[in-house]
Amino acid sequence: MKKRLTLGVAIGSAALLALAGCGSSKSSTSTTTLAFFGADYGTGPANSTTKYWDAIASAFHQANPGITVKVQTVDWTDFPNKVQTLVQNKQFPDVLEGDTAPQFAQSHLLYPASDVLSPGVLGNLIPTFLKDGQYQGTDYGIPFTTSTRALYYNKKIFAAAGISSPPQTWAQLQSDAAAIKAKGYIGYGMPLGSEEAQAEALLWFLGNGGGYVNSSGAYTINSAQNVQTLRFMSKLASAGDTQPSPGTTDRKDVWAQFAQGKIGMVLGSPAVIPIIQAAGVLKTSDYATANVPGKNAPLASTLGVHDDIVAFNTGKHAAAIRKFLDFVYQDKYQLQFDNEYDLLPATQSAAATMEKNLMFAAFLKNIPNSVNYPSKTNWTTVENQIKTTLGQAISSNPQKILNSIQHTAASGG
Amino acid sequence: MPDVAAVRETAGDQRPGAASPGRPQRGGRARRTRRRLAPLAWLGPATALIAVVVLWPIVALVQTSLQRITPIGVTIGAAGTKNFRSLFGDPNLPGILVRTVTWVVAVVGITMLISIGLAQLFNQRFPGRRVTRWALIAPWAASVMMTALIFRWMLQPDNGAINIFLHQLGIVHQFNSNQSSWLGRPDSAMAWMIGVAVFVSLPFTTYTLLAGLQTIPGELFEAATIDGASKWRSYLSITLPLLRPALVVAVIINLINVFNSFPIIWEMTRGGPGYETNTTTVFMYNLKESYIGEAAAMSVVNFSLIIVIVLCYLRVSNWNRQEAR
Amino acid sequence: MTARTAARRRGTTPRRLPTIKTAVIAATAYIIALVFLLPYAEMIITALRPQRELLERNYLPHHFAWSNLTNMWGGGFGITTSLRVSLEVAGGATVLVLLVSLPAAYYTARHRFRGRNLFLLIVLVTQMLQPTALIVGIYKEFLSFHLIDTVWALIMVNAGFNLAFAIWILNAYVGSIPVELEEAAMVDGSSRLSTLWRVTLPLAMPGVVTALIFTFIAAWNEFIAALTLTTSNNVTPLTVRLDMFIGQYTVDWQHLFGASVVATIPVLILFALIERRVVGGLTAGSIK
Repeated sequence: MKKRLTLGVAIGSAALLALAGCGSSKSSTSTTTLAFFGADYGTGPANSTTKYWDAIASAFHQANPGITVKVQTVDWTDFPNKVQTLVQNKQFPDVLEGDTAPQFAQSHLLYPASDVLSPGVLGNLIPTFLKDGQYQGTDYGIPFTTSTRALYYNKKIFAAAGISSPPQTWAQLQSDAAAIKAKGYIGYGMPLGSEEAQAEALLWFLGNGGGYVNSSGAYTINSAQNVQTLRFMSKLASAGDTQPSPGTTDRKDVWAQFAQGKIGMVLGSPAVIPIIQAAGVLKTSDYATANVPGKNAPLASTLGVHDDIVAFNTGKHAAAIRKFLDFVYQDKYQLQFDNEYDLLPATQSAAATMEKNLMFAAFLKNIPNSVNYPSKTNWTTVENQIKTTLGQAISSNPQKILNSIQHTAASGG
Repeated sequence: MPDVAAVRETAGDQRPGAASPGRPQRGGRARRTRRRLAPLAWLGPATALIAVVVLWPIVALVQTSLQRITPIGVTIGAAGTKNFRSLFGDPNLPGILVRTVTWVVAVVGITMLISIGLAQLFNQRFPGRRVTRWALIAPWAASVMMTALIFRWMLQPDNGAINIFLHQLGIVHQFNSNQSSWLGRPDSAMAWMIGVAVFVSLPFTTYTLLAGLQTIPGELFEAATIDGASKWRSYLSITLPLLRPALVVAVIINLINVFNSFPIIWEMTRGGPGYETNTTTVFMYNLKESYIGEAAAMSVVNFSLIIVIVLCYLRVSNWNRQEAR
Repeated sequence: MTARTAARRRGTTPRRLPTIKTAVIAATAYIIALVFLLPYAEMIITALRPQRELLERNYLPHHFAWSNLTNMWGGGFGITTSLRVSLEVAGGATVLVLLVSLPAAYYTARHRFRGRNLFLLIVLVTQMLQPTALIVGIYKEFLSFHLIDTVWALIMVNAGFNLAFAIWILNAYVGSIPVELEEAAMVDGSSRLSTLWRVTLPLAMPGVVTALIFTFIAAWNEFIAALTLTTSNNVTPLTVRLDMFIGQYTVDWQHLFGASVVATIPVLILFALIERRVVGGLTAGSIK
């Protein structure tokens, strides 16, 4: 009896101690959970971006046990829809990677960048991309990964067609493409399908001194220069110098065909390189990059794109987000991401390190004077219309289509 | 697919034990209460599941169509009828409506015609019938999205298998020409997509008609042959009328599925170029990218159209009911 | 007058003529079956193309990369997990549909009650809708139930959207079973529930099997609700997993097509097992 009593007391007190221990550890630190929602840059479950973020999240948690980051990624095609569903249901993440800031900032949903980044990290960001994520003069969008475009050309096809150097003007591009077509290849790959028509179009518009906005920032989509540019592109297509039906061809298909050695020239970002390597058809010496041709001279400023991180103020986790983002923007993580997906970094220090890699150097040097998409709040709407309808300008009236897009752009504001 | 009118007429009051005199009548009031609550127990779970999963989201959809929502999803206020007015004022809409009608009529019509023939064929006895019937299932078992993707793959201008075949036949003269870009031209794209839609609709339709054929007693045909009727005549006057209920069912199911069809057009052309190969269902998805409220309005319009189809169906099957007698 | 009738009149039955007709029919059927299988054969062939031969202009590649089919089973791809999830969702939805629709169908077939037509009409209307339009509302709902990112959410959504067809088929089947059989059993002393189990259900089995296969296929291939309602890797079904092969810059065609062939196999097996039952099932449902 006594033994049982002693045993009972022992067990009881052990239990009490255990409970007390649990209780005390719980009350000493409060755990914050951050919800992270990002885009998937991979091409399959094997190189999904979830792995990248999961690794950062667990390393961060080890360094900061009081903060847990829950990671969720969605592939790019479904990304806008998923974000829309979340926002409509007021299920805001704390950190969102992959979208642009102005619209969220307009709805007062975001922390300014200075609230969620240490000054050192903020100052390390590449200025031209940071400026692009401003709304009413305050930084909201924090560039995470960037990219610029150049002209890729197939040196083997060029040799077969008797072309000695890459084209610098539109006229040269036209004659080169015709020569390549005569040899049985596709001259120039022009993707104006709904995947990314706005990028291809802008690179052409810039070549003629046009663009989406003028120097004071007002929309000038239906300018005379842009119409002229589209007429030229249409001529190229109808002469057969491009792949058939540019208005419905996507960038993915054109890049894949270039990687398989079927196309002579294509505009692309560094991401084309791993596609070429995976295809195994072209050797490194078989292709090269050059500046994007313009009407009378190569482009002085090419298209620069960036995917931003924005921090939502709905969860009121500013301090935790700041710790997390400072952690994320370390050089090693920037470089890891950019090497994995062949994109460019958003921080100056990482860019400096990457310049040592010859393949990226050509793209990196174009960053400082690159042109970005307009950072207006209705740009998403305008962009969607460009993606859907611009391809038609190849086969029908460009003025009418550009007028319609300009109308949407001007009325939104 | 049972038709509502038929069930209404033939079911009657078939409660087992309702009219048998031998059953002892248990306590009146308790029995009446139990009887009144009985439907709840039997129908409750089904009603609850439908109400939760389907009916409530419909309410949410109608609400959304009356609101102003930014492209990222933030609701900024009520819109009244503005979404509907913008929708009906959209210059692309008339063309899309016409195309939707063409799409539905063409796909359903062609599917029905071919299915009647296929059902007749597969109703015959021949060696290997089981295996060929099983092959017929493939488009039904595979997801429509993947079937659409493989057709898009086969139609590539440079190296698609269909283009290779047509080139060998001499129909396609040159690869990478406009001619070989079947999905790049709106008219040929629509034709091919109609073909794919027929392809994925044939299995279900054929099996429905096959089932119908197999219930027709063979004696009817023997009697007709003895009377001197030709094969064609007995087909028209015996087979088709008895097949009518199955035909009506197949038509209605196909009408609804084809009207709501999304993956084929989305995967093959995204509705492009522009909106030139869009139907109303795909257009709704297009709108959703920038104009959420208007997309919801389009869904409401689609929903109303479907209900109209439902009402037509009920009327047709009722009329049909008298004929079959 | 067919050759056979003429031959019979003559008093002799030539053995070869019926075979020619059968042969022609069989040949036609084989060709049609081949046409139906061709796109899926192309899928497999493309899945086996090595990367450098992906865009070559030929029917068959020079080399077959069998590794494309075997290496997708690795942990990184998650195909096996998704296969399991898809089986759970499709199987669960099918079971739920049968559990819920059987009582409802039985009751509407056997009783005439107020609201019966309204019930059947509402059921009919839900058959006409697809998740694509309603997805935001569905997300909101399951959010409030705290069921986001669970297999249960998918089971419920798929069951809800396929309930109508099941109720109809079973309604017709139970309606076609003579009520006298049930009455006889009940007079012999069995309860209503056990009558349902031992008498009605076996006779209604073709209808049950039909509802089963339709729901299974629909739930197996469902995409948009699965995409919206799931986030973590261990609850993504096959349809969503396959979508991951479509990346931002490239499409992994080989794995996409290879995995989708794998995704079709369970359905084909199920179908092969119950094909005969399906034909029987559709009969009673449509001919009334």
